[in-house]
Amino acid sequence: MEKILHKERIDDWISALTGWEVLSPALEDGIWAYRPVSGAIRLDHPNTTQPPKGLAFPQREVFFSFEQIKGEAPRLTQILPDTVQRAVFGVRPCDGRGAVRMDRVFGDHVEDTYYQARRKNVAYVGLACNQPPSANCFCLSVGGSPVSTDGLDVLLTDLGDRYFVAAVTETGKALMTAANSLFDEPADADRQQLKSVHTEALAQPQRAVHNPDAVPAKLKASFKSPLWEELARACIGCGICTFLCPTCHCFDINDEVTGSAPLKGNRVRTWDNCQFPDFTMHTSGHNPRPTVGARLRQRVCHKFQYFPENFGMPQCTGCGRCISECPVGIDIVSVVNKVVEHAG
Amino acid sequence: MINVRDIRDAARDLLAKGEVRAVIGYRRGSRGMAAEPVVITAPEQADELVWDPTCFHNLALYLVEDRKFLAHSRKAPGAPIAIIAKGCDARAIVVLMQEHYFKREEVYIIGVSCEGVGVLDERKLAGHVPGTPTDAAFEGDDFVFTTPEGEKRLPAREVMADRCLECRAPFPKEHNVVFGEDKTGRELAAPFAALARFEEQGATERWDFWRRQFERCIRCFACRSVCPMCYCDECVVDSITFPVAPETTADEKANRIRWIERSAVRSENITYHMTRAMHLAGRCIDCGECERVCPVNIPLRLLNNKMEREARERFGYEPGASIGAASLVASFNDSDPGSFIR
Repeated sequence: MEKILHKERIDDWISALTGWEVLSPALEDGIWAYRPVSGAIRLDHPNTTQPPKGLAFPQREVFFSFEQIKGEAPRLTQILPDTVQRAVFGVRPCDGRGAVRMDRVFGDHVEDTYYQARRKNVAYVGLACNQPPSANCFCLSVGGSPVSTDGLDVLLTDLGDRYFVAAVTETGKALMTAANSLFDEPADADRQQLKSVHTEALAQPQRAVHNPDAVPAKLKASFKSPLWEELARACIGCGICTFLCPTCHCFDINDEVTGSAPLKGNRVRTWDNCQFPDFTMHTSGHNPRPTVGARLRQRVCHKFQYFPENFGMPQCTGCGRCISECPVGIDIVSVVNKVVEHAG
Repeated sequence: MINVRDIRDAARDLLAKGEVRAVIGYRRGSRGMAAEPVVITAPEQADELVWDPTCFHNLALYLVEDRKFLAHSRKAPGAPIAIIAKGCDARAIVVLMQEHYFKREEVYIIGVSCEGVGVLDERKLAGHVPGTPTDAAFEGDDFVFTTPEGEKRLPAREVMADRCLECRAPFPKEHNVVFGEDKTGRELAAPFAALARFEEQGATERWDFWRRQFERCIRCFACRSVCPMCYCDECVVDSITFPVAPETTADEKANRIRWIERSAVRSENITYHMTRAMHLAGRCIDCGECERVCPVNIPLRLLNNKMEREARERFGYEPGASIGAASLVASFNDSDPGSFIR
């Protein structure tokens, strides 16, 4: 389904989405974030600081609560995700492709009930990147594109005073059908313009991973390279790169005690972070990734070697957040290129 | 005006003569125009060094890393390590020496004066400069940016970091060699100006403000990781980074008290940030790195500034002013105010 939507009608479209909570990018406290829509939306955002990943995989979620009254069996109460349907407007194609990767991780081998329950209620209305939203974009190097529809339900393309709206999935069609009368049929001129906008978008200069097909094998051969420590020399070991990543999915499960008489609390899943020194700490005290170099290698090889081996695609989607936000300039594009070059 | 060639010459000379084993400095990075920290060990690498408005990092952090590395590998330090230090960075180094983290003779300080300006706040640049600048340079009271559309000159004070505008000591007093003029006293904004503006609000508004700020903390710990004063091997916020040795028993590990849960929720986030602020009282030298690196833009300087001002107003204490001075929390004077003790 392909339609034209005049820009002044987008708020009416959103109002017509009864039964959906709609989120869109908002500039709040100096950062771009997806927020529930109140009033007119704007889609002039570069990219949000955090991807929409947290809607299906929140940084913190409670699996169940527990209570133990002395002399009685412990009581467990399962806590299921809410069933609110959420439509996210303005999702960049890299983040749509991020969702594809998350879906594989939490669905391919073992179905993660909590993830799936949330994910099936989330719809992504994407926005093609006519211009790279960041100087550190490199989606073309990782099999993506600024006009990719992967993982999206609808793709909007900005044609100046109107959007070209293309449904990608059945959910996307349903979102459009909910406001049928607002849309117009695209004319030939619209399709021509769409084509030229997309062609121009694809021709925009980006950062580049050199020879991406060779990367997994070269990384594999570089496991023991001394370069890792050198490239990570400035790394401060914070968690920005992975906490802002649209595809990082490591988590930890803890019991968080909230009271002692009777003993009660929650079993909680929280994001974990391979850049934290305690990420791989064994109970013995042994840490197989004891240095910043080993941890940088883990992050890079997971994205560019292990994930391709396991799922046949790079995990990284080239959004560039880890580069732009790194406090000390660690740059995954440059790291991959240097390691590959060094491997010969 | 500092000529970067002088800094390079000094670094090259120190390395060539073996007077230092490494120089911690800045080089051009690969993401946009920003400089990045670098540790050079060979004289020929000196040409990589840069000095420009994007040298915002407080490199004292890497002295701490170096010390930890030496301790871990049980290596003797040998020759001192050199570091390029702005006024704030030099104060951080002095605090570390006050706390006996390392000795004066183990560090060779290559001071750089911020002269009339300071460093850039990249967030303030949006809207001032077309496209993505590829380079930034000091020029008198201006910053000059190289952009795809040519050179763009801006008065530095418009895009400088707040901490630099409020800086009271832009000249690194503690140094072995120093470049640039001492322009101490060129206050562009009153000290603690941002804090004073903030405190014009009532207690309820302030509490609401902080609740809102801490709500969005993602606990990436960049503020802690970037802070040269956060050097503890064991941190109260981590459940398991306490030193584990083969002789640490299972009971000790299991019974470890978790003061702060891993959940990034407001109550835990507040406890984390308040704890850090308290631990920095009388130690924070306002390099502002915590605020710069925060990916969700939490104005952490307001917290640490508050503690800094308390130390100054109540105890007349300036952290990082003198190596010989006892640290604030490790000293007592009869004249210390005690009215709060009941």
